[in-house]
Amino acid sequence: MTSVRNRSLPRSIRRGLAAAAALGLVAVVGLIGVGSTAASAASETTLTVAAPSEISTFNPFLSYFDSELYILNSIYPALTIGDAKNIPEPYLATKWSTSTDKLTWTFTIRSGLKWSDGKPITAADVAWTYNLVMKNATAATANGSLLTNFAKVTAPNATTLVITTKTPQANMLYTSIPVVPQHVWESKVSNLKNFKNMQFPVVGYGPWQLVGYKTDQYATLKANKDFFMGAPKYDRLVEQVFKNSDASVAALKSGQLEQDAEITATQFKALKNAKNITTYQQEPTGWTGIEINPGAITRSGKSIGTGNPILKDAKVRTAIAWAIDRKTLVTKVLDGLGQTGAGYLPSGYPQWAWQPSASQAINYDPAKANQILDDAGYKKGSDGIRTDPKTHKKLTFRLGTHSDTTSDSQIASYLEGWLKPIGISLDVQPMSFTQLNANLLKGDWDILMDAWKTGADPTYLLSIQTCGVLPKDDGTGANTDAFYCDKSYDADYKKQTQQFDQGERATTIRDMQSKLYDANVDIMLYYADGLSAIRTDKVATYMYGKANSGGIFPHQNLFYNWRTATPAATKSSSHTGVYLGIGIPVVAIIAAVGVVGLRRRSTAADRE
Amino acid sequence: MASPNAIDPVSVEAGAVERPRATAADRGRSTFLAYFARKLIAALVSFAVTLIIGFVLFSIMPADPVSTLTRGRPTSPAQLAHLRQTLGIDQPVWHRFLTFVGHTLTGNLGYSWQYQQSVSGLIGSRIGPTLLLMGSSTVISVVLGLWLGAHSGWRPGSILDRVSSGVSLTLWSVPTFWLGIILLVLFSVGFGPIPAIFPAGGMSTPDYNGSTIGYVLNVTQHLVLPCLTLVLVVFAQYVTIMRSSIIDELGSPYLLTARAKGLRDEMVRRKHAVPNALLPSVTVIFLQLGGLVAGAITVETVYSWPGLGYLTFQALRIPDLPLLEGTFIVFSASIIVMNLLADMLYRVLDPRVRAQ
Repeated sequence: MTSVRNRSLPRSIRRGLAAAAALGLVAVVGLIGVGSTAASAASETTLTVAAPSEISTFNPFLSYFDSELYILNSIYPALTIGDAKNIPEPYLATKWSTSTDKLTWTFTIRSGLKWSDGKPITAADVAWTYNLVMKNATAATANGSLLTNFAKVTAPNATTLVITTKTPQANMLYTSIPVVPQHVWESKVSNLKNFKNMQFPVVGYGPWQLVGYKTDQYATLKANKDFFMGAPKYDRLVEQVFKNSDASVAALKSGQLEQDAEITATQFKALKNAKNITTYQQEPTGWTGIEINPGAITRSGKSIGTGNPILKDAKVRTAIAWAIDRKTLVTKVLDGLGQTGAGYLPSGYPQWAWQPSASQAINYDPAKANQILDDAGYKKGSDGIRTDPKTHKKLTFRLGTHSDTTSDSQIASYLEGWLKPIGISLDVQPMSFTQLNANLLKGDWDILMDAWKTGADPTYLLSIQTCGVLPKDDGTGANTDAFYCDKSYDADYKKQTQQFDQGERATTIRDMQSKLYDANVDIMLYYADGLSAIRTDKVATYMYGKANSGGIFPHQNLFYNWRTATPAATKSSSHTGVYLGIGIPVVAIIAAVGVVGLRRRSTAADRE
Repeated sequence: MASPNAIDPVSVEAGAVERPRATAADRGRSTFLAYFARKLIAALVSFAVTLIIGFVLFSIMPADPVSTLTRGRPTSPAQLAHLRQTLGIDQPVWHRFLTFVGHTLTGNLGYSWQYQQSVSGLIGSRIGPTLLLMGSSTVISVVLGLWLGAHSGWRPGSILDRVSSGVSLTLWSVPTFWLGIILLVLFSVGFGPIPAIFPAGGMSTPDYNGSTIGYVLNVTQHLVLPCLTLVLVVFAQYVTIMRSSIIDELGSPYLLTARAKGLRDEMVRRKHAVPNALLPSVTVIFLQLGGLVAGAITVETVYSWPGLGYLTFQALRIPDLPLLEGTFIVFSASIIVMNLLADMLYRVLDPRVRAQ
């Protein structure tokens, strides 16, 4: 009887066992496949880096996000490119000259270069791209502001490009935009707004060619072995999207990633002693500061907003500057991974950076701050808060902070603590970026947290401190950072736009920073170092330039990092984790199927 | 076995038998249709009200998407104005409301400000990963939760009951985001002698070029941690409901009858108690199914899973109103449709509902 029952197992059990056997087979085949893929991958080197933001388009005319911009810089050429020190050097243009009236620039375009589809790259491609951005509002979405002073761009022959500007433009070499192949893009102009440039491989020229993108996951680039500056050392580059920085750090630790260029100070410290990982500090390219409302006005001088009039008094602003302990902020908020703030332009661009002299510098000195306010007649009341002698109002100011920025709330706590002893109380008001920005432009604020990052050309950052970007009387046209308006600063601003000698221009820009520093409208608190981490067991060289005595590298340009990164000598890595990762779920499924089958079998006799 | 004709021995003609039976069927069908129509109308009304509330909420949010999009980038006021005009942000609210209603009715969900492409396309390309993640986690948590709930409720106070209730309720109280990060740190980095087992993010290894089976296993490997996170947080509700339903059934006379028939205790539970206790669970399961596409926002963000949850998170950040409204329509519709299905299924499963 028993043998008969065994031979004719119930159908459900047979199905269960068959399913389990099939799954087991699949697992074995799959694991072998995974192993062979890992082995074949060893012959082709891939550099996998973390994408710093999401990716939505590869259309260079519309692109905004950093992850896209890094890729676009590597797949499309430009007239110039920032060198290792972030100073423009020849790229498509081999040389250039300017006319005596400084209005005409003549560029010689490198000959012999070809787009990835084999067609030659000529000056006509450059002229077509620039004219499209100048004339088509959609094409101007991303880079239009860089070309607003351009009057005409022509290509008299294949190797000559002529740009005529409306007024002399000293930052011309900093305004290079991605150049696209005219023969590919001409047909896209009519529907430019909807064109994502995701037909792979993308026709372009650069150290890399974009060959694939998986929505919200990763972009794949292939090395251009004929790149004239030198071929990338890796065969492929993958930019992988991680939606939170803890996950990208975990991926770095497990070897899923080779580089993460934007880690936090906490992660930096945690990775400091991690095996096979090296952390790097880079010179900062941005600042965090506070702005103090000096009395919001329109371009015609009409007062607007609800800013506290006491802050119009430069002595109050100066006292606040003396009461801030910037060193403590660097130590506590940045974990020491940054520099105390002073000049408006950060040290990542040493060609423009400025620091005050010892006599001009304002350092932490609460006694001096108290003295300034005492001398100005602001008397402390019984509660320790000072009162304005004219209006008899207390020195209580609103401090607007970004609710989505953790460091803002930390800084606000310190500021409250430092200003109270000098008789100033703060009403901290966290708000969304949008709300804060809206309040700013209407002048409805006293003190606000502020932060900026800049590229190598400081023109824009300097421009938002000029009187010309104050709002018009109807409230439109505002682009001011803090309602700072000083005619001598404006004169310097105009002067530096026309100084073609970059050394002279730098001197003027430093003078402008000195004026900003003395005004105490924008008080720089600190510059956060750029923090990154590299898998040094997989990548032999990544960073370029020399670290200073504090171990801080110059600000890095990914165009060079990605191209010059060299794979480390290959070591046979263990695939135990991969096998376990695939094996565990498969075994779990097989076990579940098996248990169900066996249970049905064991209860077969009890069925009604 | 009696023949059909034996039901009505008085009737001689077949037609005389057929007519009253057809009428009964018609009556049953028309009752069902009336019930279905009532539920459908209620669902449509709920959908319309939800959409209006959603639109109003999104519209009163203080927002300037253009300044958020261009945050930290050199942009002139003229560029900002052009961008506002291109994206239609400068249109009055009533105009945007009419566009929104039109979009909803036509199924064209508009144009995302942030991604600068059609909302339908964006949702279409991300709904697959979300359904895979939420579908697999729901199946596992339903099976696990109901099994544990049935066993716990059958022997209230037993060790299994105390352990499963304690563990599941504790996990239910844990924030999903936190649990996700902990699992990620433990299993994708490795700890002690345990190597990194699962990837830290994504849906597959970038540039995977192995076989199809290998790719499926690769996706499975990426799926484990996000799926496990969701299962651990969600299965408690099934445990709780199933447990209390089984406890309600414990003293029922039909269980005594089943035992009197000589059935083993396990069979009494599986064949008699569980089917009756399942009814209340159906509603919960369908409500959970309705929330499938919406429920994964935090998990998708932790594990960089390329689904609808993360898309919504991105839309909120800007805020990208057309995209937000589009995902809101999908989320609302799925919950309402699943509720409707639950109502229908409940009628099928429970004769008492049919009798009402």
